[in-house]
Amino acid sequence: MIRLVLRRVAAAAILFLIVLTLTFAAVAGAPGDPLSPNDPRIPAEHAERLRALYGLDQPLPAQYLRWLGAVLLSWDWGQSYQTGRPVSDLLFESLPPTLLLAGGALFAQYLFGLGLGLIAASRPNSWLDLGVRAASLLVYALPTFWVGLMAVLIVGVGLGLAPTGGMTSAAAYELGPLAAALDVLAHLWLPALVLGLSMAGDIARYTRNSLIEFQTADAGRAARARGLSEARILLVHGLAHAAPRLLQMAAVSAPLLLSGAIVAEAVFVWPGLGSTTLQAIQAGDVPVVLAATAYGAALVIAASLAADLLLVRLDPRIQAE
Amino acid sequence: MRRLAVAGLTAVVGWGCSSGTPRDTTRLTVGLRFDYPTPNELIGPPTLAYAAINDQMFLSLMEEQGDFREAPPAWAPGLAEDWEFSEDRLQLNVRLRTDARWSDGEPVTAADVRFTWLAQTDGDVAWGSAYVHEATVDVEVLDPHTVRFHFDAALPTALADVSTGAILPRHAWEPRPFAEWRGDPDWFFDSLVTSGPFRFESRTPGSDLVLGRNPGHFEADLPRLERVILRSTPDSTALTNRLLAGELDVATGIGAADASRIDGQPGLRLLAYTNRQFTFVVWNTTRPWFADAETRRALALAIDRQAIVDTIWHGYAKVGRSPVISGAWAHDPDLEPWPHDPQAARAALREAGWVDADGDGIVERGGRPFRFELATYTGAGARWDAMQMIQADLRTVGIDAQPRRAEPNALNQRLLEQDFDAAASAFAIDTGLDFRPLFHTESIGGFNYAGYSNPEADRLIESFATRADPLDGREDLHRLQRILRDDQPMLVLWEPVSLAAFNDELESVAPNAVSPLANLKEWAWR
Repeated sequence: MIRLVLRRVAAAAILFLIVLTLTFAAVAGAPGDPLSPNDPRIPAEHAERLRALYGLDQPLPAQYLRWLGAVLLSWDWGQSYQTGRPVSDLLFESLPPTLLLAGGALFAQYLFGLGLGLIAASRPNSWLDLGVRAASLLVYALPTFWVGLMAVLIVGVGLGLAPTGGMTSAAAYELGPLAAALDVLAHLWLPALVLGLSMAGDIARYTRNSLIEFQTADAGRAARARGLSEARILLVHGLAHAAPRLLQMAAVSAPLLLSGAIVAEAVFVWPGLGSTTLQAIQAGDVPVVLAATAYGAALVIAASLAADLLLVRLDPRIQAE
Repeated sequence: MRRLAVAGLTAVVGWGCSSGTPRDTTRLTVGLRFDYPTPNELIGPPTLAYAAINDQMFLSLMEEQGDFREAPPAWAPGLAEDWEFSEDRLQLNVRLRTDARWSDGEPVTAADVRFTWLAQTDGDVAWGSAYVHEATVDVEVLDPHTVRFHFDAALPTALADVSTGAILPRHAWEPRPFAEWRGDPDWFFDSLVTSGPFRFESRTPGSDLVLGRNPGHFEADLPRLERVILRSTPDSTALTNRLLAGELDVATGIGAADASRIDGQPGLRLLAYTNRQFTFVVWNTTRPWFADAETRRALALAIDRQAIVDTIWHGYAKVGRSPVISGAWAHDPDLEPWPHDPQAARAALREAGWVDADGDGIVERGGRPFRFELATYTGAGARWDAMQMIQADLRTVGIDAQPRRAEPNALNQRLLEQDFDAAASAFAIDTGLDFRPLFHTESIGGFNYAGYSNPEADRLIESFATRADPLDGREDLHRLQRILRDDQPMLVLWEPVSLAAFNDELESVAPNAVSPLANLKEWAWR
């Protein structure tokens, strides 16, 4: 088991290194000079001075080795061209909001996915079941970007039931800890719901199918023979039967949630990794783009690794292989 | 358990609801399109929007006034109480206010002015606007409240040059070596003292900046607001949503496409005010299609700029006439824009030798079809939309323009290297009206993207740039504009206006071309 884990971790580390290298090649090798001034009054020497300050006057391989060395040895991702701030500080500030949003969305995804799956499984092949399946397909098909915009316009601007964007209120600086937490939750629920719902369809469909399968399987029939109520059969034994795969689905969907969070962040002005990346791309802020891509890749690789290891833990046949 | 869940949900949703609580009239919430990364403007982003915030916290020697329609920008006293040039204009004595203090109580002195100049011109600090001090050879401290600037050339822009950039706090920032400034912009928040009407209170990076009234500010009754919260919202639509939902009192930098959602909303006022930008299509005169002025004039006749302005800008822009924008004092009011006249365009093209010999609908000259790439930046939505309209207009006169989008850095590089056919871009006019970088022969390979060269234009540009009093050079610039109109190295498409929305109950609001927050210290709730 330990050898297997080490092998997977090593593969993930190699994959991360490949991602770093390819990202550097793609971003740093792109045509154009991000430090070139777009103000005609600024002399060209200014850009040359900045290039020297940021080490961009070195050949590309030397830049790559210096960058990779700084990243791997001291987790130093350089400085933002746009703000001058250390990139690791920028991302350190952006990561928690993204994880919070992704966590909130995961909660909404399972809350609605399990709920709808249970409802559908309790009346298999009924109109209710059909309705749940159709709704699952619909929320899966609608683009998160569009749903988010509509939610902002209707729920935020129209009904005033949620802030239209941001993570805190304007007056957050004067709130106590409890009120500040409540304030963040008030800003979180709508984007988390939009993002979570867009991925709840999968969970709903799997839960429904798994519960229906359990009801007709030996274990389900045995539970019913013992006189257990239908609700207990579904909620306790049925969900326990589906749990391993549902857990694995959580790990698998984490990368999708993170990439979805980037879209949701843009719509809801959520100050996370996605917003930071988007602004950096628009501003040609190469060090931030590089680091944000690497952070995103690291999160996806870590989530995939967790899913792999979970599967190994839950399925002894893989260990045997 | 269920009750607890319902109560929690109600609390969370209720917290986020637009509440009916009375307005706190000591506080204002302003939405901006960008973040504020550092209070040190020498390493901050070189944008007017950034300067608009910095000006609330720091004093400059003189304050540029917003309007320059009648004359070059006027300069009002800021930190400087008065100033005087020597007869040869190689020295400028500036006397500082004696009642100006940093927010920690230290006086603002001549030593701060000299320290600022040293920082602005230091190679390691690498301030983008350091060029303003090219003629400044020394800043001499005469006494604690008097400085003398020494110049090696008498430039008409001397006042603008010495007033560019805020005066920095020597006692607070000198301990940090200049070489370390660019590496740690956050340090300046930790060591921040301010001299302007507002002082720094707190910030959430990427989101909010909170400014409070500076009680030590020398204008005793100003600012009238106790606190201003600046909220970063990069996207115009999201900014508009926040304004409409009542989360903002003021929104600046609204896009034209969102203006109609705000215009006419009860309780909100949409203000359109001039800025100093113009958008243009530049023709690369080294390419065979654009080598002659007659062909370039035909292109101007073929493009319906009024339709572009009406369709894309919904009236929040005007057709451009000249790179000396219509709001500038040196703009030639008699300069008529090229009309949209496809018939005349076809005739001009024929005159220039362009005919459709093979009947494919595209004109040719010397066997070369008039087919070229028209480039602009990715993300430049209005320009991209305009290019579709330009393509359609040119097609009606037998020209095949092929719009392409390019990543901004890549396209900038291509423009500088003249590796393009035609491109849509934009500039903000220099209030000193120095057109050397844009049209002088010596700027080919720089921002003279067109590769334009006309000895008479060069002479007029130089003549204006070296006049002691810019007003004497008005005729130089009028003649330059007429030459540029005829030579058409670039077609000025439009001059946009800036849009900002304000809560109707705010008074004394007066945004201008320098800043949407120009007189923020005077704003108050009715």
